[in-house]
Amino acid sequence: MTFAQRLTAPGWYRAALGTALMFAFGGALVVGVRALYGWDPLFNWDAIITVGALIAAPFGYLVGIGCFDYWFYWASGRPTRPEDHSGHGARSWKDYFRVNTDHKVIGIQYIVTTMFFFIAGGLMAMLMRAELAQPGTQFVDPNTFNGLFSVHASLMIFLFIIPVFAGIANFVIPLMIGAPDMAFPRLNALSFWMLPIAGVMMLASFFVEGGAFATGWTAYAPLSTETPLGQQFFTVGVQFAGASSIATALNFLVTIITMRAPGMTFWRMPLLVWANFTTSLLVVIATPFIAGSQFFVLLDRSLGTHFFTPGAGGDVLMYQHVFWFYSHPAVYIMMLPGFGIISEVISTNARKPVFGYRMMAFSLVAIVILGFTVWAHHMFVSGMFSWLRVPMMITTMLIAVPTGIKIFSWLATLWRGVIHLRTPMLFALGFITMFTLGGISGIMLAVVPFDIHVSDTYFIVAHIHYVLFGGSVFTIFAGIYHWFPKMTGRMYDETLGKLHFWLSFIFFNLTFGPMHLVGIDGMPRRVADYAEQYATWNAIISISAFIFGASFLIFLYNMIASWRHGPAAAANPWRAHSIEWQVSSPPPIFNFDEIPTVVGGPYEYGTPGAVHAVFKEKAPAQVPAPAGGGGAPPPTE
Amino acid sequence: MESASIAAGHAAHDQEHEHHGPPEANVSSRVEAQFLGMLLFIVSELMLFGAFFTAYFFIRVVAESGWFPIDGQDLPVAIAAVNSGILLSSSLTMHWALEGARRGNRRALQVGLLTTFGLGLTFLTIQVNEYVHLGFPISENAQTSVFYGLTGLHGAHVVVGLTLLGMATTRAFRGHYSPEQHRGVEVPGIYWHFVDIMWIFVFSTLYIL
Ligand SMILES: [Cu+2]
Repeated sequence: MTFAQRLTAPGWYRAALGTALMFAFGGALVVGVRALYGWDPLFNWDAIITVGALIAAPFGYLVGIGCFDYWFYWASGRPTRPEDHSGHGARSWKDYFRVNTDHKVIGIQYIVTTMFFFIAGGLMAMLMRAELAQPGTQFVDPNTFNGLFSVHASLMIFLFIIPVFAGIANFVIPLMIGAPDMAFPRLNALSFWMLPIAGVMMLASFFVEGGAFATGWTAYAPLSTETPLGQQFFTVGVQFAGASSIATALNFLVTIITMRAPGMTFWRMPLLVWANFTTSLLVVIATPFIAGSQFFVLLDRSLGTHFFTPGAGGDVLMYQHVFWFYSHPAVYIMMLPGFGIISEVISTNARKPVFGYRMMAFSLVAIVILGFTVWAHHMFVSGMFSWLRVPMMITTMLIAVPTGIKIFSWLATLWRGVIHLRTPMLFALGFITMFTLGGISGIMLAVVPFDIHVSDTYFIVAHIHYVLFGGSVFTIFAGIYHWFPKMTGRMYDETLGKLHFWLSFIFFNLTFGPMHLVGIDGMPRRVADYAEQYATWNAIISISAFIFGASFLIFLYNMIASWRHGPAAAANPWRAHSIEWQVSSPPPIFNFDEIPTVVGGPYEYGTPGAVHAVFKEKAPAQVPAPAGGGGAPPPTE
Repeated sequence: MESASIAAGHAAHDQEHEHHGPPEANVSSRVEAQFLGMLLFIVSELMLFGAFFTAYFFIRVVAESGWFPIDGQDLPVAIAAVNSGILLSSSLTMHWALEGARRGNRRALQVGLLTTFGLGLTFLTIQVNEYVHLGFPISENAQTSVFYGLTGLHGAHVVVGLTLLGMATTRAFRGHYSPEQHRGVEVPGIYWHFVDIMWIFVFSTLYIL
């Protein structure tokens, strides 16, 4: 290929060109408008960076990398290129760096990309713990510290937990429901390629004048409307992460509704499918609210609007209402897919059907509905209407009921099961205990007087890490270990996996457990320094945190080494029933030769001869009859 | 997605022995994927408008900041009402275009799409003209922020709608769409109706209430 061809063909060269061109275009637009109005200075770098680098350049990159090529042909009415499936499947590692429409490739792209941001966010946590190891200022100044915890949280939430679940689901869900791919493969690719934009922006904010955004991941107005340029990187970055997340959720919903295999009724879907179905509902409904909240901040910052200026008629608390109307459901967006993973792992490794399968599905739906009625429990000390406190306390306690149903169902599934303590199972059991602890501190926080006492202390830090690390991240580890053989076709090292679990489980508790105590004692969160009286506990916390962080290296080594030269995996090493285990490891490029027919529930473990799905014997190709909306049970073969 | 690619898919399927493609997915719902996708997208768009209406509610009702006329400045209700009529009538021409596609009347399809596009563009032009003559900037106070914010958000949706319509129009003139195959008109049409209905809410809350 000549250089000119490289610049016009989809790929990284054209992406670089597109990024540069659009940056120049956006910058020129700003300068042009300022020249037209005679504003001084002509070169306002805040505006040039906002419009050129943050808003225009990403579109240049997306067009350049090739996300829109097909649609351009389609829109202009020209014949679209015949589908030769060259954008399907990955033959070498290089294919993972191209736009690819295969859900399996996209799934792995998601997981690896989000792991990168997980490591970046984790290193920031290590630096914060180093700073907090003793009172006083050691390594970073307070403003940098504020930037560190803000970027740490934003990366972990928007670039790791939410999208890594999308990655796992991307790989597994189409296989699980017997579909050859997602409903909108090109939209799926676009969702993935939008994601790194958000992460790169958040990381890049460290390098602009005034440092990274330092307002926490919550970016409360009016603080966020007055801080330096770094804030803009969060405000715009979140829009890309949000758009990516909405597009994926929409794709999951359409895929699950319209592309299930014959016989796969809603009541025969594995609970992971249910979990992602309900999560996607939350994403589609709630995520636009965080987009809205950040639009207001962006407008206030860039165009001088007064959404949050009380003197000009604005309302400061409106930010928190809009923000938490998304961000409370977001905690379920970060948890429900994990619930699904745990149901799969526990039932497979205990060789028992999930106890109360229908209640498990109903409780997911109940969480979705109740999740929209509790947002103001984050605002008990904000000065909002005091009459809203008690209703929010009650709904918050109510939402623990469906969550409790799930915990008890898992315990009942384990009861008298034939338990195989493999690594994913260990993480699943670790999840149950840790998430229950996090749930209990959540109930404590629902109680208004207690919440007022521990507001903005380390108790909150402890709670969020028990639910998000002991909860979500443990389920992510469980899921990655569980489907690692399916994704890579190789087995991971069980000994290293167990070592990883025990080290992270023990030192997770030693890191975050004591934070409850110092929190109740009144140690404020989000501060780079602290009083002498907390020194001992913080030293212990920091040392534990370093070992906890190091335990991740074992995981990383295990994944990389096993992917390269682990022993080949069988098609179904866990003897699971769901469909993804009935095809080879890794799955064939188009998932199936023939769409399977579902003939029973997904968890009929312990029933001799029970199967979830069957593949037709090689028969002359015939068009399968549509199974109708509800999907009547097909004739058994 | 459309006829061309579907035909290509079938071609790949016919020569199965040379070219192995994915198996045909089972159709597990009576609702079509594109249709459902657009509906879900509209749900999420509705919520985005919901966030802006929340801002409006908090500023006007909760903070009791009052509403237009502010300091003698008022919104041009009459012009906006005429403009509403223009936008709403474009929903009718959109329907006409779609009926044309359904009956195989290419002329009606083309003229209908063009008229819809023209009416949408007229709406947008009048809206921009209104902005120019309003006499207060977006940064005057919270009310003007909400006013420009909501109408601007709606205007952005009109632009998206016009882009989709533009694609459908281009394709209609290039000979695409038939009574059997007109999803490329139907789906932008749904979006266009959504944009029109949304305007009723924006107009009545900002200008009338
Ligand atoms: Cu909450």
